[in-house]
Amino acid sequence: MALLEVDDLHLHYAAGDRVVRAVDGVSFVIAGKGEAVGVVGESGSGKSSLANAVMRLLPKGVARFDGSIRLNGRDLTTLSDEAYRREIRWRRIAMVFQGALNVLNPVIRVGDQIAEPLLLDDRVEKRAARARVEGLLERVGLSAAFYGRYPHELSGGQKQRVVIATALVHDPDLLILDEPTSALDVSVQAQIMNLLKDLKEDPGISMLFITHDIGLASDLCDTIAVAYAGEHVEYGPADRVLLEPRHPYTQRLLASLPRLHGAERPRAMPGEPPDATALPLGCRFHPRCPYRFDACDRHPPALPIAADGHARCWLNDREVAGERFETHLPALAVRGG
Amino acid sequence: MGEPPPLVALDDVSVVFRTRSGLFRSSALRAVDGVSLAVTRGETLALVGESGSGKTTLGRVSLRLVAATWGRVSFDGRDVTDVAEEQLGWLRRRAQIVFQDPFSSLNPYMRVAELVGEPLLIDGVRSRQERLERVHRALEAVDLVPAARAAAKYPTAMSGGQRQRVGIARALVRDPEYIVADEPVSMIDASSRIDILDLLRGLQLRRGVAFLYITHDIASARHFADRIAVMHRGAVVELGDAGAVIDRPVHPYTRALIAAVPEPDPANRHRRRAVGGADGADGDFRVVEGCPHGPLPGGRRPVLLDMPGDPGHFVACHVMSAAGATAPG
Ligand SMILES: Nc1ncnc2c1ncn2[C@@H]1O[C@H](COP(=O)(O)OP(=O)(O)OP(=O)(O)O)[C@@H](O)[C@H]1O
Ligand SMILES: Nc1ncnc2c1ncn2[C@@H]1O[C@H](COP(=O)(O)OP(=O)(O)O)[C@@H](O)[C@H]1O
Ligand code: SF4
Ligand SMILES: [Mg+2]
Ligand SMILES: [Mg+2]
Repeated sequence: MALLEVDDLHLHYAAGDRVVRAVDGVSFVIAGKGEAVGVVGESGSGKSSLANAVMRLLPKGVARFDGSIRLNGRDLTTLSDEAYRREIRWRRIAMVFQGALNVLNPVIRVGDQIAEPLLLDDRVEKRAARARVEGLLERVGLSAAFYGRYPHELSGGQKQRVVIATALVHDPDLLILDEPTSALDVSVQAQIMNLLKDLKEDPGISMLFITHDIGLASDLCDTIAVAYAGEHVEYGPADRVLLEPRHPYTQRLLASLPRLHGAERPRAMPGEPPDATALPLGCRFHPRCPYRFDACDRHPPALPIAADGHARCWLNDREVAGERFETHLPALAVRGG
Repeated sequence: MGEPPPLVALDDVSVVFRTRSGLFRSSALRAVDGVSLAVTRGETLALVGESGSGKTTLGRVSLRLVAATWGRVSFDGRDVTDVAEEQLGWLRRRAQIVFQDPFSSLNPYMRVAELVGEPLLIDGVRSRQERLERVHRALEAVDLVPAARAAAKYPTAMSGGQRQRVGIARALVRDPEYIVADEPVSMIDASSRIDILDLLRGLQLRRGVAFLYITHDIASARHFADRIAVMHRGAVVELGDAGAVIDRPVHPYTRALIAAVPEPDPANRHRRRAVGGADGADGDFRVVEGCPHGPLPGGRRPVLLDMPGDPGHFVACHVMSAAGATAPG
């Protein structure tokens, strides 16, 4: 039984008389303890919306929210909001929000901020809560002495560690991280990534790691999902996705990253991101796709790749793609091809 | 001797900030510490290093936007270290800055035409027609076309990448010879960065604009700069051709920066990365994390020396100088 199984999830927003399909038929699996799935995509591709959907933290103006989310086999979709709040959110599934560095309360000592949910929800003794928080501070690479500090006394990396400790306070199975390093510089980013790698090992926290940088996802994650216009256009084991992408968008994403070594120059992503309220018909990537052909005016389904992946691109359908299946598909694996 | 002077030259420049830490106490922070660096006409020099290492301050002192506490700054052979601001109009036209944050650096209540044209108003270009033409030329140079349509927009109606193009157009409208681009793409989606960097590189190659490209991303410096200078705690610790610095890094801090890059290759995954600067570490230059030789003895910083057998590749390291590296010049 998998830790988290998300199947055909939809979260649409009403935007005036239009609809934004922020999450549109997304499926993925986080198999077990210590496994990380990375969701990579441009701004607006629906990454934060996916995280909010799994946390069931929905804004006003939701036009559609359905699909199935199973945690350790238990269907969460049928849980009432009250049961979700009491049993799931923060307790089994916790989250580090995008831009979370700025949400620490400036006038409360960081230790007390971490302890707050313990003192609120449980009949935990103050002393026990403090001991637990000190342990957490050490777990995230700070010392217990940080308990009494205020946010302005911390560097960006230290604040992010506090935010992560806050999310760990109830010992969740799954931690969702929404762009946790985008406000940090490379050295501090590497430190936070080291911490996440540690937490994956011990205590074996599973992660849904959201980023616009496929390099970061590959550093941490076992599985990668590539988000585009609300869909996961490619999904599979990280090594396979990096070496043999099966979607042209993944290929272009990889080609756009400057490499330290090797002669290929990074190449700009063609075209502009789609307008969320007026998505292209057919394959949503087709206006930017160098491989498009006549089939692409139909919307591609998630075509299976091996036993553990899929891609929403007609090139993966032998019948539809014809000889392209033999010629174009392998070309996707060639960086800059 | 017969050589033309570099476009921008910093000679042993230090910048010290006095910060008040109490009613009577004040402390001094040496953001830039004895840097000598020259930007050649038409080159892109990348300045890399972690947060707080002094990159922005160095960029600003090269524009005389902050004053050098010690040392000399010159532009096109003219010493500008102590020149009064009122006398610097010419420098304000010939040297520009592009900021990191395309979301907050542009006034949301001004149209693109006004934003890009504003520097011309400041320069006293009276003719509306001339201003309009120059604004359109600048917008075309950054691929915001058709220019007339882009000019009528508000920045809030644009994507991060497009806003940064507006920021660049605003710098370009004065036809500068030197632009400090301070982390011009760090707030933009990874997949849109190359567009902007290609644009800057094009301006350099086609128009001969010299760039100081400040960045955390040493991999991008490899592809978009001619030379790389690595800053650590206020000092340049390694300097050389982009390829040499990345393929043959010498200084332990440069090596740590390179190792911190999460390249998406299966061989590079799940690695613990060496990192410069512990979180919140103080600015003691004697400590270089990852240096196999431990903290420096004594109070002197090592100076930049040319690597034997690798001309133009400079490293500031006591071990290297003991090994026979020589001072430039
Ligand atoms: N006006 C100022 N007054 C006091 N201290 C300052 C001032 N400007 C910068 N500093 C300090 O000088 C040091 C260098 O800052 P600088 O902004 O140049 O670093 P940086 O390398 O650009 O960092 P980042 O990558 O975060 O932009 C830092 O310790 C900073 O806090
Ligand atoms: N509360 C909301 N109401 C309406 N549209 C929204 C809301 N939140 C996000 N969106 C839209 O949904 C799409 C996906 O957004 P988001 O999930 O934030 O993407 P990402 O995190 O990948 O940048 C975007 O077009 C965004 O503008
Ligand atoms: S379905 Fe067609 S347009 Fe879409 S990614 Fe594949 S080849 Fe390109
Ligand atoms: Mg987001
Ligand atoms: Mg800076």
